[in-house]
Amino acid sequence: MRNSKNGSGLVDGVRRRDVLKGLAGAATLSAIPQGAMAQAAKEAPALAKMTADGKLPALAERIPANPMVVPVEKVGRYGGSLRRGLRGSSDHNGILRLVGNQGLVRWNLAFTEVLPNVADKWEVSADSSEFTFYLRKGMKWSDGKPFTADDVVFSIEDCAKNPDLFKSAPSTLVINGKACTATKIDETTVKIAFAGPFALFLEQLATPLGQYPTLYAKHYCSQFHPKYNTSVADLVKAANLSDWAALFRNKCGDIEIPARWGNVDKPTLDPWVVKEAYTGGTTRVVMERNPYFWQVDTAGNQLPYIDRLTFSISQDVESLMLDAISGRLDIQERHIDTLQNKPTLSQNMQKGGYRLIELVNSSAQQVQIYLNMTHKDPKMREMFANKEFRKALSLGLDRKEIIDLVYLGQSQPYQTGPRPGHPWHNKTLAEQFTGFDAAQANAILDKLGYAKKDSGGIRLRPDGQKVFFAIDVIPTLYPDQVDALELVKRHWADIGVDIKVNTIERALYYTRGDSNDHDAAVWPGPGGLDPMLDPRDYFAHHPQGSRYAIPWTLWYVSGGKDGQEPPESQKQRMKLYDQARATADLQKRGELMKQLFDLTAEAFETIGLCLAVNAFGIAKNNLQNVPAKYPNAWSWPNPGPALPQQFFFTT
Amino acid sequence: MLLFIAKRLLWMVPSLVVVSFLAFVLIQLPPGDYVTSYIATLAASNEVVDQNTAADLRARYGLDQPMIVQYFKWITGIVLRGDFGISFEWQQPVGDLIWERMALTLVLTFSTLLATWGIALPIGIFSAVKKYSIGDYIVTFLSFLGLAVPSFLLALVLMYVAAVEYGQEVGGLFSEQYLTAPWSIAKMIDLAKHLWIPVIILAVSGTASLIRVMRANMLDELHKPYVTTARAKGLSEFHLLLKYPVRLALNPFISTISWLLPNLVSGSIIVAIVLSLQTAGPLLLQSLMSQDMYLAGAFVLLICTLTLVGSLISDILLALVDPRIRLE
Repeated sequence: MRNSKNGSGLVDGVRRRDVLKGLAGAATLSAIPQGAMAQAAKEAPALAKMTADGKLPALAERIPANPMVVPVEKVGRYGGSLRRGLRGSSDHNGILRLVGNQGLVRWNLAFTEVLPNVADKWEVSADSSEFTFYLRKGMKWSDGKPFTADDVVFSIEDCAKNPDLFKSAPSTLVINGKACTATKIDETTVKIAFAGPFALFLEQLATPLGQYPTLYAKHYCSQFHPKYNTSVADLVKAANLSDWAALFRNKCGDIEIPARWGNVDKPTLDPWVVKEAYTGGTTRVVMERNPYFWQVDTAGNQLPYIDRLTFSISQDVESLMLDAISGRLDIQERHIDTLQNKPTLSQNMQKGGYRLIELVNSSAQQVQIYLNMTHKDPKMREMFANKEFRKALSLGLDRKEIIDLVYLGQSQPYQTGPRPGHPWHNKTLAEQFTGFDAAQANAILDKLGYAKKDSGGIRLRPDGQKVFFAIDVIPTLYPDQVDALELVKRHWADIGVDIKVNTIERALYYTRGDSNDHDAAVWPGPGGLDPMLDPRDYFAHHPQGSRYAIPWTLWYVSGGKDGQEPPESQKQRMKLYDQARATADLQKRGELMKQLFDLTAEAFETIGLCLAVNAFGIAKNNLQNVPAKYPNAWSWPNPGPALPQQFFFTT
Repeated sequence: MLLFIAKRLLWMVPSLVVVSFLAFVLIQLPPGDYVTSYIATLAASNEVVDQNTAADLRARYGLDQPMIVQYFKWITGIVLRGDFGISFEWQQPVGDLIWERMALTLVLTFSTLLATWGIALPIGIFSAVKKYSIGDYIVTFLSFLGLAVPSFLLALVLMYVAAVEYGQEVGGLFSEQYLTAPWSIAKMIDLAKHLWIPVIILAVSGTASLIRVMRANMLDELHKPYVTTARAKGLSEFHLLLKYPVRLALNPFISTISWLLPNLVSGSIIVAIVLSLQTAGPLLLQSLMSQDMYLAGAFVLLICTLTLVGSLISDILLALVDPRIRLE
């Protein structure tokens, strides 16, 4: 057995002690015979009563013979109701982040290593193309039916790979344009095989988008599937829906849609199951403990500790803030973690009875400026594509002023790249051209042929046009970026470059990017803690995210069929990344990625302002076992990997 | 009269067809489509949509087809099968989503209407009859104050005071234990306990203008010869006021009934959002923002139908109340 690591290593802010503690916990536990663990397990009082009344089978029959043991900081007590807020609609991921993280594997607290979860252990073939997962014997869905290899095979073969349901299979299950095949070896063993090496598969499985193998319960969802139920058309008609795929989605959901939480009958593997569903008309969502949950603490108590979750739905973020400061939310970071809310939340800590928790930003960059190097206008393209021009712009920025004024001094000048402390941190990539040097910037621009200026002091291009471009920014999403850009505008005006801070609505922002109509755009630059999972700033990787050259990303993802052919440096990086993704050996993968970062530094495509600032959240004082610090990311969907099932209330 | 009503009803059909088409076009006008705004919403929390899924979604919802095709698919579903389509966002039939919220909206709007009229009419009459008295100045001042304070601000302040000073829950229309309970006397009482806050907030802004309208109309009528005649004939002052001038001054109130019905859906959206009321408004706004076409389209269609029905009702009522209006 060989556990693969993603090699993000230790990161700044997440303490080494936490990681060691996690490992130590696992080591002591492995000494206890696992069968004995199930025998000795204890359960919540309400469940014990139901068992005594004969309404539930005994605990030993409900949990697997080898339940997952969660190394808890403190053994908790049962009871209580955890309150959290959702905003309006389309906030389904607010539930996913807390509850729905029960994939085959999971992340450790430091976001550096993949640990066993639904799968007890696994084996990887030598070329990293076949993965054999060993499930837990006797594990049950939340309705008490057994969870077996059949469920995993059904989820992948009949659902994720079904063209009616998913026109193309989810990306996490695809390599070299081909979807994986899942095969049942025996009741609790399943093999997932790919057409080529896919060493990153385990990390992908630990992210939310990697939850497909455990998403659908065969005994329940197969009734909405034409392969298993020939009269599914009647059900479709009765539900007033258009086709079986719509019915299936309505009943069994998908990873990232509200309907995942809209059906109280759907069996899940989650610690809490839906009691009051998340539907269009509702104002709150209630979830109650899953009596068949398959995890226990170090003392053998069945998790979760907390009886129920209540998500209240506020249409308005301000009313969420009101709930937070008046102490009506037990743990919350979503929607309230903006920098301007921090003083208000700090002031009201005593009144609201909560503490602040620090969230380590997984992004690299707070404000990444993407000049469109594939601009439709050849003159603009030529200007943006010139590295010297971008270098001059970077040197012309007074980053310290921006950090002091907009980010309250809580950052440092930064270009991009894995965060400081990350084993792959690349100093050149992170720090080149971040010194403020207007004289040098002016000299470069003069040399580039932009020496002539108009009466307003703005430089002119050789064709007589002003050196001017617009930067798209979404004010409702990132008000801080607008503030930062206003300062950038001033700094660049001093070196004779004029910009327009183009504040637009978010759908328009995306539409302009999709049709390659933007001059430039800003966005927080990802890839600080998760460079393998989101490398969009290191080469043209993301068709909606690598905004400096979206046609190049189309070329990359379509295998050369669409988009525009990128320059040599990009092509090398695309190849290096594909190699790294197929390399299980961390050492070797790191070497490949370091080559990639060197090329990125050499090409210098994006201009960054400062290191992404840490966010924060609140936790009530009586809520225990909440780590004081954890990552803030989508791939590490906080707070889920901090295991909320082992949070508990002291009173 | 019956012929008039029949004719008006027939006219509604072509109007609705035109309106439904315009509504559909308008909803589609902003850049992007449901999938773009879905991706954008998730990206706002730094969440990522699988690239394959995004392309799938467009094809599944027919967003890659020309708009006219999408419109015909939608409208034929409604006309032939009464099927308003599926909400993209919720994967639920649109019909279920809309009716669920309409009942509460109805209760809120009519309570607000009663409160507004109940406050505005007597005060309007009073300040017309006692023109330029101290009482007139006081009620006028207060009503202008009510008009000037934005209702969402009033709602926020009320919520803040209740939450921070008294630790009380203000938002919503029900206490927690009644949220999903079936209807009962206890639940109605609970609703009444919560309803007064939004009703007052909404009524405060509405009364001021109505007071002014009522006052102005009354002043017009009070000095007309028929009032003098009636007074000379010895009619008591109270009886006289209610019998003639008030009845005529009510005309603008009745004419605006046609605006009132669409308000059922679209009125008071901001207050409903701030107070987390489970009325139709927030759902309409959300569907427009996420470009959830079928849901938004159904709402707009509903609003238009209500406007048409409302203007018919106000025409009929006007004919009944105002002797000067004839239908032929």
